[in-house]
Amino acid sequence: MAKQPLIRAVGIGKSFGVTRALDDVSFDFYDSEIFSIVGANGAGKSTFIKVLCGYYADYEGEIYIDDQPVHFKSPRDAYEAGIQVVHQSIEQGIVQNMNVAENLALEHVLSPEASFLYHEKAIENAAVEIARKMGIDYLDMRQNIQDITQSEKQMITIARALATQPKLLILDEPTSSISDREAERLFDILFKLRDEGVSILYISHYLQEIKRISNRVGVIRDGRYAGILHQPLEVPEIVKAMVGDLAVQEIGTQQHDGERQLLLELDDLIIEGSETPLNLEVYSGEIVGILGLIGAGKTELAETLFGIRRPLSGTVRINGEAVAFNTIRDAIDHGIHMVPENRTVNAIIPEQSIKNNITLPFLDFFSRKAVLQRSREKEGADTMIDNMGIKCEGHAALIESLSGGNQQKVVVARWLSMPHNIVILDEPFQGVDIKSRKDINVYLRESTRESAVVMISSDIDELMDVTDRIVVMNKGAILGEFSTSEADRDELLSLITQE
Amino acid sequence: MGQFKAFAIKYGFLIVMAASFIGFGLAEPAFWSWSNMFSILLGITIVGILAIGVTFTLIVDGFDLSIGSTAAISVMISSYVMVVLNMHYLVAIAVAIALGFLIGLTNGLLIVKAKIPDLLATLGMMFLIQGLQLIPSAGMSIGTGMMMSDGTEAEGEFARQFLYLGQGRLFGLIPIPVIAFALLAVIAYFILQYTKWGRILYAIGGNEKAVKLAGVNVERYKIAAYVISGTVASIGGVLLAARIGRGDVTSGGGLLLDAVAAALIGYAVMGLKKPNALGSVVGVIFIGMLLNGLTMLSLPYYTQDFIKGLVLVAALIFTFGLSKAEL
Repeated sequence: MAKQPLIRAVGIGKSFGVTRALDDVSFDFYDSEIFSIVGANGAGKSTFIKVLCGYYADYEGEIYIDDQPVHFKSPRDAYEAGIQVVHQSIEQGIVQNMNVAENLALEHVLSPEASFLYHEKAIENAAVEIARKMGIDYLDMRQNIQDITQSEKQMITIARALATQPKLLILDEPTSSISDREAERLFDILFKLRDEGVSILYISHYLQEIKRISNRVGVIRDGRYAGILHQPLEVPEIVKAMVGDLAVQEIGTQQHDGERQLLLELDDLIIEGSETPLNLEVYSGEIVGILGLIGAGKTELAETLFGIRRPLSGTVRINGEAVAFNTIRDAIDHGIHMVPENRTVNAIIPEQSIKNNITLPFLDFFSRKAVLQRSREKEGADTMIDNMGIKCEGHAALIESLSGGNQQKVVVARWLSMPHNIVILDEPFQGVDIKSRKDINVYLRESTRESAVVMISSDIDELMDVTDRIVVMNKGAILGEFSTSEADRDELLSLITQE
Repeated sequence: MGQFKAFAIKYGFLIVMAASFIGFGLAEPAFWSWSNMFSILLGITIVGILAIGVTFTLIVDGFDLSIGSTAAISVMISSYVMVVLNMHYLVAIAVAIALGFLIGLTNGLLIVKAKIPDLLATLGMMFLIQGLQLIPSAGMSIGTGMMMSDGTEAEGEFARQFLYLGQGRLFGLIPIPVIAFALLAVIAYFILQYTKWGRILYAIGGNEKAVKLAGVNVERYKIAAYVISGTVASIGGVLLAARIGRGDVTSGGGLLLDAVAAALIGYAVMGLKKPNALGSVVGVIFIGMLLNGLTMLSLPYYTQDFIKGLVLVAALIFTFGLSKAEL
């Protein structure tokens, strides 16, 4: 360990108004290693990365590059110091109306030294050069960027970052929008880069990934340095470091007091895009997981239950009564609530308060003759903020002021705030930190008595955490049902992936 | 520093407005007279009413370019019904407002059902009604005693009660159109601020898909926004016809731009950064006051549009440039 760090961040601090986002955080980055930073949402991870990338001119502390202190005033400074970042949102790093070659050689295309005449050949040559280093020269250079896969786009952004031969390559949540198989390829490339001497800073919510690929893990908790973990890494150890002892609150299991009522019954239901009839029963007090990969028909099933799609045939019964929904409102009126996947696109109303985001579907309830009764609304919102432990400055705070995990709590709160029969959660933990996930699960379990939860996910561990029963879907069919306590992870995995 | 900036963003516009009010009065005491106050207000009512209407479409993240020509066709049709068809003035008002409603409904259907982008749909509609308004009167303005194409004189006339709507004053002081404007402004403010309809309209402007997934019939709300815009514009047209007392084919000119500018200036009021009824009203009053004051200080009339543009650009910088959120 006599090795000299390439880059050192020492005593980094940053405040936003009265909020202390980051306080005296120090990490060293060495060549030939993958270093991960973990922390619950809101812990200060992203602030730290943004400081490293030069987004804030007014941070405290010092960054040393090859032992020379530097102070970043703009992203340009960080870039010139050899720090390259690949952002979470792949689309941010891609120019949509350019082809593959132009995107790869963007540096070249946009360089002020480049000739103002467009040299197609020169750009292609530069692009091929860059692609070869990353092993993606099989891509068709003239292909339109919209026609390639997400992971290929991501490879392009990484390749482009590497072409500048950075000292430090930062990857922010790179696997959040690519498949498992694509992620494997990404890891292979990261290992190769590491072995070639690149220093990589890796950020991810997926602790299994962190455990697998990191040489060292740095922990930030509540804006402060909370230690470094070394190999061999274990997930529970990482979690403990991230959230302290707070997280050991147990998610209860199903309460068997009282009669179980059959709430939802699918009787030979055939959904769009499938030919297999589905049969399923959901009882009060239980949390049922529906497990399957993309394309398994989970979302189609959820959308059919929520009145967005019509079933091709078969019957849905709620409390024993056959129902057919023409609109989402019909479904809501029958006590079917749904938290859709991807909260930013499907659920969050930007620039509105937490309160307005929670009460949105139930404004009729909160108004008299169309006039909103604000005190009742506030009461309703406060109750949910309390129940779900939403970390905020009160119901009037804008939704954007919350961390991702807390935004998700708001979206879940929206649908749990009113009595219902079934609440469907479609991929509820995408981009949600482990602490918020636990909070949501604990509340789901507490509040599920007369009602039931149907949780849809492609992540086995997420479902194993909280469900009573797991239903496996593959290509529009239900392949099996398992009691969660007896389910075997490997068996589930082979069922969802079988061709 | 941050607090000062927050204060400036919230109240800056109103402070500038108060300052210019005081400044004009000090430079020219006649500016502060009651009669001048109401003359300012009367001058902006029609544009103000249109601005209130277009605010609704802006809120759902849409746009209505046809408000100016809707007001214009409403001028023509109400004049036509009274003068050429010699019918009761209440019929004229009803026909004009019904037409505005229909135009709004058509806009809404074109945008929501036929999925035409709002700017294009309402641009097409603007063009269409600009042409349509000329057809009944064969391109001529309509006035009492006008010559018909068959050589006879038109029998009808502008009813006294109709003209009162545009030219009358309550207590001999407050112009009737100003009262109508104030009434519409209060109603719009109330709907947008205190009812679930307002909440939902704003939510649609923020994230239409999320509102749909919350079980709201988004299409109906969006159509309603255009219906409100069209109907309100036709009310503005009726008042305009009553004020000028003839069906002037050129009466719609300039209304659209002025109304949209006022609504956009309104984004800056109270630092709301979004379309809002209070802002639209304040925006239109601000422009009216500025032009009135500057004219008193002998600013030539041909600089007016320049001034309006200047105010608009300044307000937009204020709204979007200064209040940029930190990364």
